[in-house]
Amino acid sequence: MVVGCHPESEWNQDMNDSIFKINAPGIDVNKVVAEVQASVAEKKAKGCYADPRVVLAERSNLANLNDEDEFLEFYLECLRDAVFVDINDFQIVERRTTFGGALITLKKIIWKLLKFYTYRLWSQQNQVNGLLLSALEAQESRNREKIKELEERIAKLEAGNTSR
Amino acid sequence: MTVSSRIAFVCPRFAEGPTVGGAETLLKNLAVRAARSGRKVTFLTTCARNHFTWKNDVPPGSKTVDGMEVIFFPVDDNRDVGVFLRVQEKIGRKAPLAMEDEIAWLQNSVNSRTLCDHLRQNSGAYDRIVVGPYLFGLTYFVSKVLPSKTVLVPCLHDEPFAYLSSFRGMFQSVRGFMFNSAPEKELACRLYGVSPQVGSVVGMGFDPFEADPAAFSRKYGVTTPYVIYSGRRETLKGIPLLIDYMAAFRARTGRDVKIVFTGSGEIDIPADLASHVVDLGFVSETDKHEAMAGAIAFCHPSVNESLGIVILEAWLARTPALVREASRVLRYQCQSSNGGLWFRNYAEFEEELLLLFDNVELRRSLGNSGREYVLREYSWESVTPKLLVALDG
Repeated sequence: MVVGCHPESEWNQDMNDSIFKINAPGIDVNKVVAEVQASVAEKKAKGCYADPRVVLAERSNLANLNDEDEFLEFYLECLRDAVFVDINDFQIVERRTTFGGALITLKKIIWKLLKFYTYRLWSQQNQVNGLLLSALEAQESRNREKIKELEERIAKLEAGNTSR
Repeated sequence: MTVSSRIAFVCPRFAEGPTVGGAETLLKNLAVRAARSGRKVTFLTTCARNHFTWKNDVPPGSKTVDGMEVIFFPVDDNRDVGVFLRVQEKIGRKAPLAMEDEIAWLQNSVNSRTLCDHLRQNSGAYDRIVVGPYLFGLTYFVSKVLPSKTVLVPCLHDEPFAYLSSFRGMFQSVRGFMFNSAPEKELACRLYGVSPQVGSVVGMGFDPFEADPAAFSRKYGVTTPYVIYSGRRETLKGIPLLIDYMAAFRARTGRDVKIVFTGSGEIDIPADLASHVVDLGFVSETDKHEAMAGAIAFCHPSVNESLGIVILEAWLARTPALVREASRVLRYQCQSSNGGLWFRNYAEFEEELLLLFDNVELRRSLGNSGREYVLREYSWESVTPKLLVALDG
């Protein structure tokens, strides 16, 4: 099982190291949280959270956009990985044991019949998703630059006013 | 300082049986403590049990509960829900609002003319009127009856309603405040220009208990590790976020972890998570405490709190807390106690839950720190003197 970028055993080793540093009996939660945040930042940089499941999980956290600039950047990064939905063939399984083989065959036939109709729609939808995300990213980056420029101008103007 | 010996506590609902809510529990417990300290306490409330419909479920009249008289008044029947919701929607998106709209919203919130009339007719019978929480029409209109005797228990948090001019006026007109936490007091000072000298942080006291961490799994057959949430299950409490995060946590980490819910309200659970959610609904205090004691963590995903009562209970059960950084109050509680961790996003939640999942020592240490904090700061021995000072001030 993979957690973020690391195999579980490796991750557990990381955690054991970090617990050693945390020194649980004399706990300082500020230190623990700071350490967790540093670890997350490192994993983010490696792309460990670029995962459609993270995008889905964060949908309720979008209120953060009001007060955390970094969150949108992070969300878009996760979204980039999720935007192109897998529309290819997949392994068809059946949990029921009775008539299991027959049911799998039936499902495969249904899938093949449906694929002919749905593939075109889904691939178009994927294209639209990708284009919308690109547009959103471009807009976000332009806004960010504009805000930065305006902030710099305000700072200059304020500095000018104070020196007068 | 003169002793306020006759006190009216006012709250739109009375915490009894399945009526659960932090503010209601807080007001009732403070009233019971004031009564036990020898004050004559009358609890004025409405006949409503449901805070969505405000239907009169309890017959009007009075009864004695824990040494105080509780009087139930009917909710006004002329409430225009359409007007209320229309204005509320505007408030929610912070649209500019005329004073008459604010008043219309308050008038069509929960109100009881008979309760206000009772206070007017018996104004000499009470030395103090303690009322809360802040955001109901009833609280607003009660505060107008005798502001010089009114002590507000606001249960305030940073939300669009808090920015209404009417509430600014209410906060500036009353005699005093009983806040639940230092961040709540800071918020009131910032929003309404309230002088820090006017109100004090009182909070709520807790009776210590011991809970067997294994009892819950024995009784309910939950053998896998679990995270718990207790209280009202509503969108505003962040329940959808908790469900989404837990679904992602299970899928990404492969850890077999369940979520246990106790309390009231409907939960919308995705089909693939349904078998990993244990929804107990309303349970006894003992069952709740045992469920808390056996959990890996108590996760409180709400950002709108003035005091995390259930977190304090979880700490008494020696269970660490996991809260959102965006909740200033809950984060403050975790920082003050060293009893819990906070997260900004899923990634941090995952990392912290794994940390708690894998490290018994860390869980024990956080849980014990939390318990020590509650016993030190939130025992009734610590809270009652602050309550009496606030009543007499």
